[in-house]
Amino acid sequence: MVTPFHLLRLWFIQLRYAASRELAFRANFFAWVVVELAWFVLQLAFVGVVYQHVESVAGWSRQEMIVLVATNQLIQQIFTAFLMPGLVKLPELVREGKLDFVLLKPAPPQFLVSTSHLEIGPLANAAIAAVVGILALHDLHITPTLPSLLAYLLLVLAGLLTHYALLLGLVSLTFWIIQAESVLLGYYSIFQVARLPREAATGWFRILFTLVLPLLLVANIPAATLIRGLQLSSMLLFLGTCLSAALASSFFFHLGLRRYQSASS
Amino acid sequence: MTASLAALPTVFSIGLQRQLAYRWNYLLRALFSAMPLLVSWVFWKAVFQGKETVGSYTLAGLLTYYAVLLVVEAVSSPADDDFQISREIREGMLNSILLRPLPYGLYRGALFLAGRCAYLTAAVLPVALCFFLLSRAVPLELHSLDWIHGIPALIGSALLQFSLTLCLSLVSFWLLDISALIFLVYSLEFLAGGHVFPLDLLPAPLFTAARILPFAYEYWFPAASLCGTIPRDAWRAGLGMQFGWAGFFLLLAAFLWKAGLRKYTAAGG
Repeated sequence: MVTPFHLLRLWFIQLRYAASRELAFRANFFAWVVVELAWFVLQLAFVGVVYQHVESVAGWSRQEMIVLVATNQLIQQIFTAFLMPGLVKLPELVREGKLDFVLLKPAPPQFLVSTSHLEIGPLANAAIAAVVGILALHDLHITPTLPSLLAYLLLVLAGLLTHYALLLGLVSLTFWIIQAESVLLGYYSIFQVARLPREAATGWFRILFTLVLPLLLVANIPAATLIRGLQLSSMLLFLGTCLSAALASSFFFHLGLRRYQSASS
Repeated sequence: MTASLAALPTVFSIGLQRQLAYRWNYLLRALFSAMPLLVSWVFWKAVFQGKETVGSYTLAGLLTYYAVLLVVEAVSSPADDDFQISREIREGMLNSILLRPLPYGLYRGALFLAGRCAYLTAAVLPVALCFFLLSRAVPLELHSLDWIHGIPALIGSALLQFSLTLCLSLVSFWLLDISALIFLVYSLEFLAGGHVFPLDLLPAPLFTAARILPFAYEYWFPAASLCGTIPRDAWRAGLGMQFGWAGFFLLLAAFLWKAGLRKYTAAGG
């Protein structure tokens, strides 16, 4: 019987191994910090250009938009550090039959696939995003209260779960499509929705990305919690939809797993 | 040389077959590439709330720009040619290519062309569908596209992107992993290339600086040429810059190839 404690211990062991492997390539580590930082600067530059022409977008001022973008970056970078590196290896594992080695181990395959790798570089960028967010809050003269900070952390976890649900669902397509490397492009394309202010979306777009795939909530709800205080109904909506999305993608992964034919077949 | 040129259609055909074998991958890629357009539509609609223009753009004009970017991307952006070349060098697969009487640049050029044709085939439906859906919500200015000035700029963009990709990939002769370098250049292409917003929305000094760099001629210049927003004189100067940069990168690639081959060690059977 695999207990949650057993899985947590296993994850720490995998993290320790992955960290030592990562630190063997220190130049690569710094190179990726610079790359991810460049993409963050790109988003901030976009905000800068837009707010040269307008005062607010969908009720979000320039500094509030920076808090939104920084929150999105924080969540994405934590996800990129801990869960994404393992998930993106799935298409290769399936195509080359190496998933056999994962399936033979006495632990849930979804857990092993998701936690097998680590990237340390994104953690540095998550810290930079946090600093940018704090500076923007300072400019807004906002000091978050302890309850809103705790709620923010919980919502960041919910954001991570949403990222996880989407990418797990996308990489699981690999059980049906031989070369599914484009799903990574899909993940980055779809997640551009998370940077939008929620109030900018209307109609079917807002319904789809709030109730089915809650991307409009991923950064919006945590950022709004810091800026405008706790909003219980929005929080509950986000937690409910992200849990549903995670369960649906897990089901999809296991459905795909049934189609998997090992290397020897 | 004649024999080399005669082999190119065969290389193109093999490349096309190889690429079409992964048509689902291409279809997904094309579908996902329409997503930024959708996001731009939602975002800019909110920006234009209560405003007629932003910079020199109307909402329809700006969305036409983003829609045209999809066409530019489909015609001129390499798929994973950079990683393929890098792998050929790193894993010694170059050995079999070096034995053939075919210049490597021409060989990769034929494969790039095949990749673009395969991608265009897969992208036609999703891009057309995207245009159709968007044109129902926003009056896109697609009827006034300037193909006479747009097509040469598209060809220049393809040549520039191919030559830049070739240069970046050939760095693999010296570095084990060039993926960080490639993604760093991607980010520059997105920002200074006009992928995130049209470059003429930048403050004037930054816009002038962006037009000196090669990235502007990969996306912004062909898209703006197709949209017909560039004055005739500026277009001629832009085309000169575009082909000038493409020529520079082709020469640089030739130099890197020669220098890299001196360092390359063909091992194994």
